[in-house]
Amino acid sequence: MATNRALKGRIRSINNTRKITRTMELVATSKLKRAQDRVTAARPFAQALTEVIADLATPDLASQFPLLRTPAKPRDGGPAAAVVILITSNRGLAGGFNSNLIKEARRRIDVLTAEGYHVDLIGVGKKGIGFFRYIGRKFRSERTDIGDRPTPDHAASVVDDLTKDFAEGRIGVVDLVQSKFISVLNSPPTTVRVLPIAAPAKARGGMRPDYILSPDAATLLDALLPLYVRNTMYRGLVETVAAEQAARRTAMKNATDNAGDLLEALKRTYNRQRQAQITQEIAELVGGAAAQQG
Amino acid sequence: MRVTVISPEAAVFDGEADAVVATAFDGELGILANHAPLMTVLGSGLLTVRAGGVARRFRVQGGFLQVVKNSVRILAEHVQGDADAAK
Repeated sequence: MATNRALKGRIRSINNTRKITRTMELVATSKLKRAQDRVTAARPFAQALTEVIADLATPDLASQFPLLRTPAKPRDGGPAAAVVILITSNRGLAGGFNSNLIKEARRRIDVLTAEGYHVDLIGVGKKGIGFFRYIGRKFRSERTDIGDRPTPDHAASVVDDLTKDFAEGRIGVVDLVQSKFISVLNSPPTTVRVLPIAAPAKARGGMRPDYILSPDAATLLDALLPLYVRNTMYRGLVETVAAEQAARRTAMKNATDNAGDLLEALKRTYNRQRQAQITQEIAELVGGAAAQQG
Repeated sequence: MRVTVISPEAAVFDGEADAVVATAFDGELGILANHAPLMTVLGSGLLTVRAGGVARRFRVQGGFLQVVKNSVRILAEHVQGDADAAK
């Protein structure tokens, strides 16, 4: 049985830990709110862009654009390189968040390798980079400077090189491993194909309006497709940040709750022991007094 | 006509307007109500949205402009709102 003093020490230490996890929970909650707003704010742009590309891209036009064309598999003489971009967080203490993303990335790498690709990795966020370095994988590039507030410029800086390499036939596939932020409680790791661009299907039925195109559809698409690629990356970054904060909040809430349960149990033991000690002391006193009188 | 100005990060402007003057890739372009459907690439420059005598100006770079069914949609890569121009 632990002594009372040891118990007291543990109670104090758990109390302190609980204060920390509780604070982290609150911080994550407020960051989550802001991250969520950014996810929502990014939606209109993505939606409008998708619609417009769907309006412009006709099947015969699509075949002219390298970004829309699916290159041959390496076995059939296509480019042998593939790129997997893995977004993780810079910080831990977010439950299974990072390890789930890493798991998804490894699965993706295995699939691409099985198709005959030589997979290059791009790491965004310290956690994913740390893991793959540990197992001895080299990165094509590593980014740890993109923090809680990704901007479209960050996305462009990651993806623009790849767009160029893809267009010139050096890369066959670019996949992005990110968290899909569906809701606060549901943000599973997913793989999004960045390149080739899956030509957005025409959602609205009916004829496309008879546009005056200036300069012409090909030039327009030429300007819009890189935008689309950047936007895919930007959304990946924003959603993953939101998912990270959501995961951290859940993890820290659980930690706080567990600390509370532990504290309760320890306090009960502590009080029982204290009570037992007092009872014993009284008994000794009474016994002593009786002995003197006797 | 309805005008929306959207950047990748947020919808910057959304509302009714009488006229839009944008800088397209080849020069300035003015759009009034009931313009024919149009799609064009934007250059970098000023975008003015006029509504009932007040004008709001934005500094816009990259992206494109689309007019369809009497609504104008401007998707720009970079938008800087000129907040004190007019409210």
